[in-house]
Amino acid sequence: MIQVKGVSKFYGTFPAVQGVTFEATPGQVVGLLGPNGAGKTTTIRMITGFLPPSAGRIAVCGHDTISASAESRQKIGYLPESAPLYPEMRVRDYLSHRARLYGMPRVDRKPAIIRAADRCRLLEVMTRRIGHLSKGFRQRVGLASAILHNPPVLILDEPSNGLDPAQIRETRTLIKDLSAQRTVLVSSHILPEVERTCDRVVIIARGQIRADGAPPELLARMLRQVPARHIVEIYVETRPDPEAGGRSELDRIASKIRAIPGVAALLREPIHGEPPDPTGARVAEWVRLVVMPEVTHPDLREPLSRTLSSATVLFRELRRQAPTLEQLFMRVIDAETVPVGASNAAQEGGGE
Amino acid sequence: MSRVLAIATREFASFFRIPLGWVVVALFLSLSAVFFAKGTLVPGEPAEMRTFFGVWWFLLLFVTPAVSMRLLSEELRTGTIEPLLTAPVSEWTIVFGKYLAAVGFLAAMLLPSVVFVGVLEYLARPDYGAIGAGYLGLLLLGMLYLAVGTLASTLTSSQTLAFLGTLFGLLLLDLAPSRLAAQAPEPWAGLLFKLSPSFRVTDFARGLIDTSAAAYFLLASFWFVALAAVILQSRRWR
Repeated sequence: MIQVKGVSKFYGTFPAVQGVTFEATPGQVVGLLGPNGAGKTTTIRMITGFLPPSAGRIAVCGHDTISASAESRQKIGYLPESAPLYPEMRVRDYLSHRARLYGMPRVDRKPAIIRAADRCRLLEVMTRRIGHLSKGFRQRVGLASAILHNPPVLILDEPSNGLDPAQIRETRTLIKDLSAQRTVLVSSHILPEVERTCDRVVIIARGQIRADGAPPELLARMLRQVPARHIVEIYVETRPDPEAGGRSELDRIASKIRAIPGVAALLREPIHGEPPDPTGARVAEWVRLVVMPEVTHPDLREPLSRTLSSATVLFRELRRQAPTLEQLFMRVIDAETVPVGASNAAQEGGGE
Repeated sequence: MSRVLAIATREFASFFRIPLGWVVVALFLSLSAVFFAKGTLVPGEPAEMRTFFGVWWFLLLFVTPAVSMRLLSEELRTGTIEPLLTAPVSEWTIVFGKYLAAVGFLAAMLLPSVVFVGVLEYLARPDYGAIGAGYLGLLLLGMLYLAVGTLASTLTSSQTLAFLGTLFGLLLLDLAPSRLAAQAPEPWAGLLFKLSPSFRVTDFARGLIDTSAAAYFLLASFWFVALAAVILQSRRWR
């Protein structure tokens, strides 16, 4: 159980984290998602007690990270970013050292080391020096040392950083396994990674929480705010027509589309891979138009097809394209202050 | 206490897992051997190690900073300080554990020099009381130097800076009081002399164990180690 309440951190006058509030409960994998420099690591370091917050309170399993620092640290298993380890030590010695730091009795140490090493698939490298291991193995040594004392809270800062796809998949499975009775907090700047591993995502950008919720729910909520664009491909003349006062057929259709209620903007996009017209004799060509609807009109396919039919224009495509997760994510983190999610439930409640 | 030992044993073992530890021991012992052969093994001279201890005090000035420079600077540089400080151990435990390891290493480094005593025993009848007191003085002086080095090591993530900082700190600690004492008026002169570690240690080589001198070394060492712990703690608040 992690409770973060109104936490801020200033480096000098620079606000690295501002008023962050969230909770993580047992059995849940919470993803802390955000671009580099968003304040993920600072937030994590405050939870693990490495940095004190400038304002606000953090409790881990009910222990305040400042007033009951040792107790709260005992409850946490932590894998820092890039897993710093002692390269001159052998894997077994390192795990044994960590077990002693967490005050594990001598009799419990050996089985705990074997269990953690087995889970992280380290048994084959137990006698090797950490400095001689590959990046993937080193990451696993860090992970094994984090789960060694069977902590109720597991915090992993960018656990998939620098791993190859197979190793990332392995880490993901391991995190899922470990989350059964634990509270797991994972940070990442890679969206699909978080989407696949986490039950809940907290999106953080410029030190503030921008969104908080389950990935499908977040997606639905963001979709309501970011309307889907419509793509139309029509066969029209693009050359100015002197009889129509210098306007082309394209201009005429475009103004009709703009007149549809709910159309916010209309753009022309190039069509790639269209065979060129070497003679220049063709009078008409395929043109791709992108219709941006207003939030109040999420679906414009019907009015669009009516308009095109009544104008007797040949069209080969009319498609509604929902924004990709990536685009939504970028929109959320680029937004100045339009947070969505649980932290702003009151604000949002009025709008829905 | 078991956590202090966990840190101390890891640190102590790491001295021997890297070349630095072996290089320091080898240089120290080979230089010692040269001075022993040239200064102490002189026909007709008494079988004692007084001059030899004098040389060692001087060597310690350079050897101890090399031992202590790594203690925390390396952790700060490589980031291993993060898993260490987020484990349920206090800053005091970390600093004291590392300091203990350095003192242990110093003792381990001095251990092979017992061979020199064996040589004296083979040739003559050395005064074991004086030799024992000399070793004790050497260890006490080394403990103070290592405490200063531990403090310097918490201040920077650069081992070079930690080494130089310790060296200059020790020279200042050693020379400043005695130089100032020479010019100061009486009550101050005596006091300043007593603050100089090299002045305090001279009696030990003569076989004189002065409890006030021993207390001085232990208290001064404690003071520097405690200061190092406070500085490490303050890193969290910056």
